[in-house]
Amino acid sequence: MAATPPPDAHPAQRAIDPATAFMVLSRVGYGPRPGDVEALMRQGYPAWLEAQLKAPVADVPEVRERLAALRLHIRYGANPAWPALDEMRPLAYLDKPIDTVWAVADGGAPMDGQERRRPMLEVSVATVLRAVYSPWGLRETMTQFWHDHFNVDAYSASQIAAALPSYDREVIRPNALGNFRTFLEAVATSAAMQFYLSNRTSRAGAANENYARELFELHTLGRDAYLNDKYDRWRQVPGALKGQPVGYIDQDVYEAARAFTGWTVADGAGIDGHTKLPRTGQFAYVDVWHDGYQKRVLATEFDAFQPARADGRKVLDLLAAHPATARFVVTKLVRRYVSDEPPERLVAAASAVWLAHRQAPDQIAQVMRVILTSPEFLASRGAKLRRPLALVAGFVRATGQEFTPNETLVNEIANAGQRLFGYPTPNGMPDDRALLITTNGMRRRWTLVLAVAENAWGTGAFDAAKVMPATQGGPVPTAQAAAAQWLARTQGFADTAMVEALVGGLGWPADQPLTPPGHPDLNKRLARIAAFAAMAPGFQSC
Amino acid sequence: MLISRRAVLGGGAAAGIAAGLLPMPGLSHLAFAAGGADRGLLLIVHIRGGWDGLNFISPASDPDFMAARVAELRVLDDGPTPGVALPNGPDPKIDFRLHPAAKPLAELYQDSHLAFIHAAGLTNATRSHFVAMDMLDRGIADNGAVASTPTGWLTRYLKVTGARGGAAATSVSGSVAGEFAGWPSALAVPSLDGGFGPPGGPQATQVLRRLYGAAPGDIGAGGRDALAAMAEIDGKLPRDAQQKPIAYQPDHDVNYDPAADFGRPLKTVAQLMKMDLGLEVATVDVGGWDTHENQAGRFQDRVGRLANGLAAFWNDTSRYHDRMTVVVLSEFGRRLRSNKSGGTDHGRGGVMAVLGGQVAGGRFYGNWPGLAPDRLDEGVDLAVTTDYRRVLTEVLERHSPDRPPTGVFGSYTYPGPLGIIRRAA
Repeated sequence: MAATPPPDAHPAQRAIDPATAFMVLSRVGYGPRPGDVEALMRQGYPAWLEAQLKAPVADVPEVRERLAALRLHIRYGANPAWPALDEMRPLAYLDKPIDTVWAVADGGAPMDGQERRRPMLEVSVATVLRAVYSPWGLRETMTQFWHDHFNVDAYSASQIAAALPSYDREVIRPNALGNFRTFLEAVATSAAMQFYLSNRTSRAGAANENYARELFELHTLGRDAYLNDKYDRWRQVPGALKGQPVGYIDQDVYEAARAFTGWTVADGAGIDGHTKLPRTGQFAYVDVWHDGYQKRVLATEFDAFQPARADGRKVLDLLAAHPATARFVVTKLVRRYVSDEPPERLVAAASAVWLAHRQAPDQIAQVMRVILTSPEFLASRGAKLRRPLALVAGFVRATGQEFTPNETLVNEIANAGQRLFGYPTPNGMPDDRALLITTNGMRRRWTLVLAVAENAWGTGAFDAAKVMPATQGGPVPTAQAAAAQWLARTQGFADTAMVEALVGGLGWPADQPLTPPGHPDLNKRLARIAAFAAMAPGFQSC
Repeated sequence: MLISRRAVLGGGAAAGIAAGLLPMPGLSHLAFAAGGADRGLLLIVHIRGGWDGLNFISPASDPDFMAARVAELRVLDDGPTPGVALPNGPDPKIDFRLHPAAKPLAELYQDSHLAFIHAAGLTNATRSHFVAMDMLDRGIADNGAVASTPTGWLTRYLKVTGARGGAAATSVSGSVAGEFAGWPSALAVPSLDGGFGPPGGPQATQVLRRLYGAAPGDIGAGGRDALAAMAEIDGKLPRDAQQKPIAYQPDHDVNYDPAADFGRPLKTVAQLMKMDLGLEVATVDVGGWDTHENQAGRFQDRVGRLANGLAAFWNDTSRYHDRMTVVVLSEFGRRLRSNKSGGTDHGRGGVMAVLGGQVAGGRFYGNWPGLAPDRLDEGVDLAVTTDYRRVLTEVLERHSPDRPPTGVFGSYTYPGPLGIIRRAA
């Protein structure tokens, strides 16, 4: 693919065919709902994409209403400090400021662990709901991209679980198509990241290197720019003596860690014998914890005793502007949206746009425009594996069935290899299909689709009369016709070999109506056929 | 750097979809056969996150060590919770102490089943988890060779020694370990609780077999392999009169519960071993060791799980001891000097542990470099005096004496065995 030259006419300007439209909807968003392919073709891809790139951050009314109507089960036993509980409870935390949610992070306040995990569960369930019901698929998939990129494990600490609603709402979502430098500081000052990479407790004297190291390696410059096994001293790094080192070594990490000392969270910690930070979960800067002496990061001198937070901000400036950051992040974007083997031409073109527009408030949207109008993208049908969330959301969107996500579903998506907001290591869930195509992974992927179709986890019933209006009052479809219809709905087309394979395994006559008219088993049989279509190889990728 | 277990066959996953990866559509990579028991079982335990070997086995009486670290992050030789003194340490002048939460391992050490290698690890100067793990997975020590090394070292071992396929290579995890990169039939089996069959009953199985029978690429092969593995493994699970899988009963009433999240995968390894599926190489992960802050309490908790888990596994698998080896390793050790968060940052030299019926245990192997300032790696860390591949090579040789695993570690020059494995009489 890397060797393919771009054709003369801009392909995105040409009329888009239905198969490509199907791919675009499945890759840019979470898959077509009935009618979406036709609507995109009517609107034209450029106009459709512009609208996606400028999608509002706020939820559309349908999503807001569904979130408001959602009830999640919570149940725990009695304890000397609290009574037993068993109820269906509305979402309480999604729109709350962090100082309100922070109460569940207070280890001194007695409550069941489920109460502490509740903010994380609400964000997880809302994420699945938005994937299914938001018309702004690009904003949703970009939100997940950045949650992976700026990963925190909300299962690892109740403070991170408590910080997750504001991390998602105030840090990730508004910046997902915005400016990377702005985004970086929002992450750096978030309670979620301050806790997760333990910068919160970093102090002058022997700084905690955790955040600084992963900031360099995972958030910005990337591992290819980590040159510690090649150079012992900063001066040796190529470009360093001109103030433009091509990469970094451990000395840069040590110095950057010093720059972020004093950046912390108001978590009630004592500053000295008299003063304590409040317990609000908000970002705080404590000057007496900051190592104010001069530093050198990426061959740039930092003068001693700069104003509050200036050292850390300067590190973020250097990292956000660095060409290695452009290449590293853009390569990840291309990998996610185009191909597991990112085409070099596209990476270079999009990196150039990233750097040229690094001051722009819509820097990331501009990069995405380059990626999503590229010939490489438009020719990449089938190149990406659907991750478990996309598998579920894509299936539900294809069927149009009534759907309400819940905790069981979130756990089953995790069992298939995508624990939302809970990847245990700071690199976030790798974009690596080999990690998902395993014995366990395939078993769980098939389970996900079948269980949703059969409503095994209480996520909503498959109602054939609603999702297959043709069957209502009309003749009962044959197994053959139902299989062809569901393969087309889930994959964009019905390959005759796949129809035969599906029908052949059913054990039902291929050319007879599935049941007598009005038979109670008809709905079950149609749900199963729909699920089998989505368990087929053709639905695993898009 | 991402590598695929399947892509190496066809030169890339995307190309594989178009071209059809399998030379013979419809066949699974898997061919199940009982046996492999004669080759024994090798279990690799990954300590994920950077295992603080200096807090696990401390040079408790070394003044350089005592000066560099707060007492909470050292194993002490006195006080209310002293560490267990380990005889036959790597430096006779120093009192090496095992973390008090690791007492179950002290017994295995005293019984000569368990050996330690201190100051072991990766010789490359990286302090990145992900770079280090990628090198460890591939059995290399050169970051520049990561991209050009598409296979894991266990894959190369399995190729050299001619493993039988089937469940020979299994990660007891949701995904397959990087050491199995390029070994398409490696299984991921996180648990057998509740069975391991495909969903949807016989009809779904029939449909899936047909849908995946000739499907191209890694997805087609992955589907076929999953169906074959599920049929084999699920079919061998003991069941009650209602056909429900019977919960696994460890031998000798061993209790894995004290090992918590580490006990579950180990129990599954034991279960798979006893099902006679031909298991030869298994991997398990134990996470939570990236202790940049508040290390003391977390580390004690993790060490307790590790030690209780290994001891439970050992007791549960007594029938297999003479042909079983367990290797415990991590991507790096941690910084000698503690930070002000009560933790330690990424370092270099660490500990490896080898447990097995043929291990000449009860002693340390390898040299102790010391912790004086001029002995430290880059001035800050315990140096590596034993390349991790030296230990692994010796273990692999024991597991395949008839077909020596030469070349598994590529250009690595093996200096010969340390003597960890007892020679046949």
